[in-house]
Amino acid sequence: MAKFYLPFFLLLLLVLEGVAVDFLPNSLVTGRWMIAAHWVLLYLVLISIFYDLENTYVSVLYAIVFGLMIDIVYTSVLGVYMFIYPLVVYGIHGLKKLLHTNFLVALVLSALAVALADTGIYIVYSFIGLTELPWQDYFYIRLIPTLLANVLFLLLIYPLTKPKLVKWSTERFNTSGKL
Amino acid sequence: MSFFRRTRLFIILIGFIVLVGLIGFSLSDRSNLTVGEEFLKDTVGWLQGVVHRPAEFTSSIFSNIDEIKHTYEENQLLKERLADHKSLLYEIQELKQDNEELRQILDKTESISDYEPIQASVRSQSPEPFFKEVTINKGKQDGVKKNMAVITGQGMVGKIQSAAEFSSTVQLLRGFDGSNRISVTVSQEDKEDESGFVIGYDEEKEALMLKLNSYESEVEEGALVVSSGMGGVFIRGLEIGIVEEVTPDKYGLTQMAYVTPAADVDNMDHVIVVNAADGNQQEEEE
Repeated sequence: MAKFYLPFFLLLLLVLEGVAVDFLPNSLVTGRWMIAAHWVLLYLVLISIFYDLENTYVSVLYAIVFGLMIDIVYTSVLGVYMFIYPLVVYGIHGLKKLLHTNFLVALVLSALAVALADTGIYIVYSFIGLTELPWQDYFYIRLIPTLLANVLFLLLIYPLTKPKLVKWSTERFNTSGKL
Repeated sequence: MSFFRRTRLFIILIGFIVLVGLIGFSLSDRSNLTVGEEFLKDTVGWLQGVVHRPAEFTSSIFSNIDEIKHTYEENQLLKERLADHKSLLYEIQELKQDNEELRQILDKTESISDYEPIQASVRSQSPEPFFKEVTINKGKQDGVKKNMAVITGQGMVGKIQSAAEFSSTVQLLRGFDGSNRISVTVSQEDKEDESGFVIGYDEEKEALMLKLNSYESEVEEGALVVSSGMGGVFIRGLEIGIVEEVTPDKYGLTQMAYVTPAADVDNMDHVIVVNAADGNQQEEEE
């Protein structure tokens, strides 16, 4: 069943990312802060931690597909999310092998993933001249608020998604054995 | 093991090449979206419409209660205004007739300020803050085309960045850079009108940068800025904002005015896409 559920939830998060601004209080949106929602990335990180085995790369595959979709739907420059998301998720996949999987590790890895991805995106965008925001401003105006907002979102979805992902993982990989 | 490491490096390298290729492709000046992009944008747009409905419903309940509270006061005020309005209406009608007659004498029936409105609702905002873009629920099927101006009742908010079949992307005014200049007129009551270009958005001042054409131009704070229709992209007479501050630019050769946008972009639900009058001719040709 996970075959259908995973892309469905990823698509749902992708859709919600764009509508989320309507739910947020206005003072947050109109202020100088720039908050980027990386909900798809967070779910991908959870997939890579709790669903993927050591030798399966479902999360990286989905990262490529949904990265490209974010590029198409929300930005006018293709390829940036498609490149950064899989790279970060692959890194998290590698790191997870070294650590035990528990809540704290998931939290730290997700925060790390968001920070890396957002910085990577900033670097690429400033390289191609899409933004002229200096590094220091970027750090205070965008990186820290984005990090906080996304960690908050992780705290919300973690209790809902983790048990399901673990269950799907055992269902999927115990019966078929290989991806 | 070394084989695996090599393939890994290889894949990252290929990914990097794909990245550069795709960026190059999307930054090139293309007039249309590819079929895949259009399909995806429409699908996600439709899903967002579905998600949007309950959210709109709940927020509209609260705003309705708020509005009922103020109804009586507003009603009194509106009644007073209505009397003024009527006399204004006659005046406008007369002016319009006058204008039409004068145009007929000149054999000029089409004006650069004529347009057909296309009503649309805002569906989503890009979660990537570097892109100041919103999606609306009207596309090519409704007559929306690239580069059309988008306005609200208060003034101009942006232009169509790209149009898919059933949805389109709007680039907001604060996302404008040097490559999308708007030719504008600064209209002042007691002085001559001045012309200039809106060349971009100043993040720190939260205002549009308006480069005035001549150094001698005298622009006062509070002057109204409207589009001039000279660029051929936007029609004449779209309200853009109000002059906040005038300073000499960094080389001292021209003057720079900072303009506060008239439209409140953050709280808009409904917008109007401005279909300029010459769009009719194109349709006939097709």
